[in-house]
Amino acid sequence: MGTAVAVFRSIKENLYIPLFKKVWPVWAGALAFAITNVLMAAYARGLGVFPQLSMWGASLINAIGIKTQAPFAAYPVTPILNDSHSMINFGIVFGVLGAALLSREFKLRTDSWRGYAQGFLGGALMGWGTVLTPPCNVGGFGTAIMALSLSGFLMAIGLLLGGFVGARILMWQAKRAISGITIKEEPARPVAEKAYTSRQPVIGWVVIALLFVAVAVYAGLNKPNFGVLLLFGAAFGIIFQRSRLCFAAAFRDVFTTRDTRVLRWILVSLAVGMVGFSILKFKGFIPADHFVFPAGLHNVAGGFVFGIGMVIAGGCGVGVLWRSAEGYVRHWFAILGGMLTAGSWVLLYGHQVGQGWLYSSSAGGLGKVFLPTALGWGGALAAAALTLAAFYTFLTWLEAKKR
Amino acid sequence: MSALTAVKQQDGSYSVDIRGWMCPYPKYMLEPLLKKMAGKQKRISLLVDCPSAATDVPDVARKMGYKVPEVTQIGDGEWRIIIE
Repeated sequence: MGTAVAVFRSIKENLYIPLFKKVWPVWAGALAFAITNVLMAAYARGLGVFPQLSMWGASLINAIGIKTQAPFAAYPVTPILNDSHSMINFGIVFGVLGAALLSREFKLRTDSWRGYAQGFLGGALMGWGTVLTPPCNVGGFGTAIMALSLSGFLMAIGLLLGGFVGARILMWQAKRAISGITIKEEPARPVAEKAYTSRQPVIGWVVIALLFVAVAVYAGLNKPNFGVLLLFGAAFGIIFQRSRLCFAAAFRDVFTTRDTRVLRWILVSLAVGMVGFSILKFKGFIPADHFVFPAGLHNVAGGFVFGIGMVIAGGCGVGVLWRSAEGYVRHWFAILGGMLTAGSWVLLYGHQVGQGWLYSSSAGGLGKVFLPTALGWGGALAAAALTLAAFYTFLTWLEAKKR
Repeated sequence: MSALTAVKQQDGSYSVDIRGWMCPYPKYMLEPLLKKMAGKQKRISLLVDCPSAATDVPDVARKMGYKVPEVTQIGDGEWRIIIE
């Protein structure tokens, strides 16, 4: 009996507490993200959430009687619970909710109507950024670079500029709020502090149990694939929630507060992921053009629009799903904004993503550029690694110059 | 994103409740806030409800040369950060 208690206590102290009571170091989140992304690509596809959100948006627009196509040809309008790829997004929500509850960080966070409007606007900008780039920050920058798509590198330029503009807006708002602060000099009555106990960890375990119930239900429906993608999504959700590896914050703080640590770890994660994706592609386990998107000026422009949107909304595609599951009501509006603008893209533009003049050579488009096709495998890997190293060095220099 | 109030406490310190302001607002507010309160009182307690702020805000405060003697979770998703 004594041994059993000691074993239980040891597991709690060495595994449970570091995982769910303490914040993970950013590097741990970055590496876990890379490995999980490579594994999911081997199983089904790399991570990116906005193409599904766009499809949900197009479904919503169809549901109110306006016929339109989903913007991404690969993901046509499908009933959501019958769409395996949507399971990744649901999984993220499940995983974040579970992790936030286990770590006592869930709270229903309401905001003012301005906050909701800003969330909606940020989401709307991300929706347009997604269809223009394509797709979102984690998918179009992160996974695309791992997959050796030229578009990912170009999107980074736009994200840096857009992130800077967005950060300036937030800083201005923060300054304005402080300059309008009311100072009460009448000493407040001391409030007796109540001892704080939380029921959230128990609810967290229930959420995790429900996740597995959903997995079992899909297995019972002879769709085990759906359950596996739910679990992959949940793993990403837990990684992002616990390590606070935020792709929006990474770009936001580069040129403003010059905190480049998160982005530098993301670059390391991309290098690790690139090795995995290269092996999968080189050996023919996944198609060479997996996560290779059209490249060109539209990546920079789309990244810029997306960058502003993600910062003023308070998270990129993955980020808004994540914050929504932590209880941020503002981010529910961001999801809706993103769904509606991306979902109505075909109505407005008349073509799907990747088609028409925006992505054509006359608008600075190059078509899909898979680096190994252009430079050979050795050349592509060398060029990508050197670019990441140069970017890393630049960020380190930028941060050092601050002090 | 509601209006902010700094409330003087019995011990002469000030408490500022910035719950409801998502990240990175708390981090961005720190410098203007400490400037505004300069000369008033060295000890300020901040209430935040965004998980990143519990680590970001102390980091920024320390980089500005302040001490952060206490970061306490006071409720689900809520923290108190003391800066002097």
